[in-house]
Amino acid sequence: MSAAGIGARRRRRAGLTVLLGLIALATVVPVLYVVSLSLRSRDDVLNGGLLPSRVFWRNWPDAFGAIDLGRYMANSWTVAAGSVVLTLLIAVPGAYFTARAGRSGGRLAALVLSSYSAPPVVAILPLFFLLRNLQLNNTVAGLALVDGLANVPVAIWLLDGFVRRVPREIEEAAWLDGLGAWAGLRRIVLPLIAPGVAAAALICFFLSYNEFLFALSFAQDSTAQTLPVALSLFQGDKNVEFGQQAVVSLVGIAPVYVLAVAAQRWLVAGLSSGAVK
Amino acid sequence: MSPLSRRQLLRATTGAAALTAAGPLLTACGTAQGDALDPTAKPDLDGVTLKILANQPNALSFHYLAGPFEEATGAKLKVTPVPYDKLTSKATLDVQSGAGQFDVFMYWYAAVGTLAQGGVIEDLTAYIRAHKDIEESDFLPSLYDTYTRWDGKRWGLPYDGDTHILFYNTELFERHKVEPPKTWDDYQHIAEKITKDAKGKYYGTIIEAQQVPVILGCDFANRLAGYGGTFLDQGGSGTPTLTSPEAIAAAQALFDAAPHALPSPLQIGFDQATPAFLDGKGAMLDFWTDFAKRAEDPKQSKVVGKWGVTTLPVGGDNTKPRTSLDAGFGLAVSTASKQKEAAAAFIKWATAAQQNLLVLGKPDAGADPIRTSTLNADAFKKASPDSYDVVRTGLAGDPLPWPTVPKSPQLLQGLVDELALGLQGKQSAKKALENTQRAWLTTLKKT
Amino acid sequence: MSRASHVPRFRVPRALAAPSVVFLLVFAAYPLVYLIGLAFTSSTLAQPLRRWTGFDNFHSALESQSFSGSLWRSVVFAVAAACVQLVLGTALALLLRARAARPGLLGTVLLLPLVTPPVMVGVAWKLLLAPVGGALNGALHEFGLPGVNPLGGSTGAFVTLIVIDSWQWTPFVMLLAYAALLGVPDELREAAALDGAGRVRTLRSVVLPYIEPTLLSVLTLKLVIGFKVFDIVYVVTAGGPGFSTTTSTYDIQRTALQEFDVGSAAAATVLFSLIIGLVVSVVALRRKRHEEVAV
Repeated sequence: MSAAGIGARRRRRAGLTVLLGLIALATVVPVLYVVSLSLRSRDDVLNGGLLPSRVFWRNWPDAFGAIDLGRYMANSWTVAAGSVVLTLLIAVPGAYFTARAGRSGGRLAALVLSSYSAPPVVAILPLFFLLRNLQLNNTVAGLALVDGLANVPVAIWLLDGFVRRVPREIEEAAWLDGLGAWAGLRRIVLPLIAPGVAAAALICFFLSYNEFLFALSFAQDSTAQTLPVALSLFQGDKNVEFGQQAVVSLVGIAPVYVLAVAAQRWLVAGLSSGAVK
Repeated sequence: MSPLSRRQLLRATTGAAALTAAGPLLTACGTAQGDALDPTAKPDLDGVTLKILANQPNALSFHYLAGPFEEATGAKLKVTPVPYDKLTSKATLDVQSGAGQFDVFMYWYAAVGTLAQGGVIEDLTAYIRAHKDIEESDFLPSLYDTYTRWDGKRWGLPYDGDTHILFYNTELFERHKVEPPKTWDDYQHIAEKITKDAKGKYYGTIIEAQQVPVILGCDFANRLAGYGGTFLDQGGSGTPTLTSPEAIAAAQALFDAAPHALPSPLQIGFDQATPAFLDGKGAMLDFWTDFAKRAEDPKQSKVVGKWGVTTLPVGGDNTKPRTSLDAGFGLAVSTASKQKEAAAAFIKWATAAQQNLLVLGKPDAGADPIRTSTLNADAFKKASPDSYDVVRTGLAGDPLPWPTVPKSPQLLQGLVDELALGLQGKQSAKKALENTQRAWLTTLKKT
Repeated sequence: MSRASHVPRFRVPRALAAPSVVFLLVFAAYPLVYLIGLAFTSSTLAQPLRRWTGFDNFHSALESQSFSGSLWRSVVFAVAAACVQLVLGTALALLLRARAARPGLLGTVLLLPLVTPPVMVGVAWKLLLAPVGGALNGALHEFGLPGVNPLGGSTGAFVTLIVIDSWQWTPFVMLLAYAALLGVPDELREAAALDGAGRVRTLRSVVLPYIEPTLLSVLTLKLVIGFKVFDIVYVVTAGGPGFSTTTSTYDIQRTALQEFDVGSAAAATVLFSLIIGLVVSVVALRRKRHEEVAV
């Protein structure tokens, strides 16, 4: 390639970087606005600008004093992690089935996706009875169970594509070698779709972490309540403490942002390895 | 594994799943209830932990009560706050599902019929009769029955006697040479004048009219009270009276004022209304009494020393200041509690004059008087020097009760829906209330 | 597609579907039975399944002005949001891909909205857009422009919700589209380039067709997610002004958990699910046709 060609390429790349940089900046404005809110006093919330008129640090200590943030975060992480494990236990074999079992697979996929379509509000009552019978009411485990089940359709939907990308011949060869289908799934297919599983796990983690309706309904008190519920408590006050609410959001999402940054390479690599069909 | 046994396995798993599913379904129809409350029992409270479901803005008040309660009885309190709009559903689900996580429910009084009919809260009639030291006669007559009675029985005791008062910005009032409004006509005049003169820098009034009962409902109720109207006749349990001249005038006053308020009322909830007032962006705001403490806190307010309060304006033929029982909470015993006697003992203790005074003295407890003795107490006057007289006038008078029938949540939502359409300019005040009246009649007919 | 005959027919053990079947029974069938029970009975939150009332709940759901209008609004919202996000997400993915084979820090920053709690998303946007004291109008004022109040009017509020939803979900589409783009074989592009196809034509005739299955699939999922929108409606507009942004999920939630009329809410859920099924199956059919062509 000529030197001029390389130069043009570099220029194009730089141009794209600038363009995307601007878009990214516009994207984070609301997030930065939350940071700005966390540094405003109540009378400064609607000051007409992006920055606080004067920096008000008090929200930070006050927010930690107002709620047991550590507890909510621990609950959120436990629920999200636990739910991901459950989701994968169901969804990995499930996706294998939907991708490989021909017509019955298609039927299962259709059923699972349609189960995702119904708004979950009214399901709260029956699920409540279920949790009570399992004695998992108001527990982190109960919430993880419900969230884990709720995310199964998304996970199957994501994983189905990965399984389809695994060449059938590899499995068939293993099958010929006397490996059972279960062992084949575990030893041949699973390693091949591992990046996809990681990506699905991350997406389900984010979904669980931010889930609100179930968390609000099935966790009666702070022993099992998660971060979005804590955020709603601010919103449910007559005098909304926006500053403290912003602090709680920031502290709550910081680790998830870090996770997203750290795991982004997996996420993208994983998803691309089996671009969803 | 052979195909046959795999199929069996599958069948067994599905069978087991079906059973787990069917089990709770069958039990779903009967709520698990604890033993009935024994009105004369003398529960030993030492070492007991009572779990309380509390309205978020009042949750702190229980923290102030926890210490003294433990000292007096040896019992501990565990408080779970929920957002105000989740209070009733949370309590109902707790009992209905048989979870029984709570002993005491703080309830919005408008839901007392809903909770009582739903079997969520315990009938306290016999308990109250058996305990003369509750001093029923000391509870404010203006709210006692409204907060606690349904179907001829008592279901709880009043805990927080919320009302609205009118806050105004004295600096803006002086600048525009206006006096605090006595009537809703004055209010309209002031709102128009200031908004026009200020040319968008600030506004004559703030109307929070988000389409939920506790927000838009208050706007209407405050005006309805001023014009001397009612929601239902017979003290909040009879037939709807929404097509009365008073009611239509009240809705009209609201619709007339909205264009001159901080834009735009329908999208404004508590979250925007209060910062706007504290920032001096609006000259008037009708709000709960404890907002006074915020307005006077220099860390949170730019209007410290530059605000005043007055009773809600009056209108039409009515000349006597009248407030509306906007929000307001009682304490009740959960039917699913396993320690109902202890829970009742706590409610009795928490609603006694001494405890009411204790929380009245705490600026962040969100508490208001519930008893004649505490409303008149010097301690309350000292704790709320700015708003004392106005609060007293409201609660000592004949405030407007909201509906408390079991269908009340549906009625109120229907009302604010129609009002919102009116505020949007899609229908007149008369039409909005006629529609509401018709819907209420239909709803009340169904049981 | 003739598989070598010496290979025994490949059979997927049905037991693999067992966990999913259990899932369906517990999380779909059981609530569905219950839901139908509620829909045909007089049911409140405190006293479900009180007595059989036939189609009364369906009548009252359809008669209620908030619900009947909400069905249409939900469809418009879900379709519009999904389409906007599909276009924007794909465009962003193409830009990212054109820049580099790894998304890099920029890619991560673009993902942040997806992991931000919806409640906070709603609060932040609402304050940004506040007509008095909001940052948007503050900025317009700086430049001497007249203020705007997007949430004040019916159309404005509805469009604003789509904007907010797109802010949150475009990254999701971008992520999946970008991953799919990485899978486009270089040979394909090069072949197109050798044929003298320009950049736009390569995109239209090679790249987009290649990732179309992914895009259709994302569209389906995003449609379903769009139908279920609740949090931002609840925080930003509470369904208003009037009923302008009352979507079906918001209305159902309100009926069940604010008015406690669980029977009507259940009937509304049944009707709403039928509508979702209808819309989603249109896309699914297209997807299926596409698959058949591909095979």
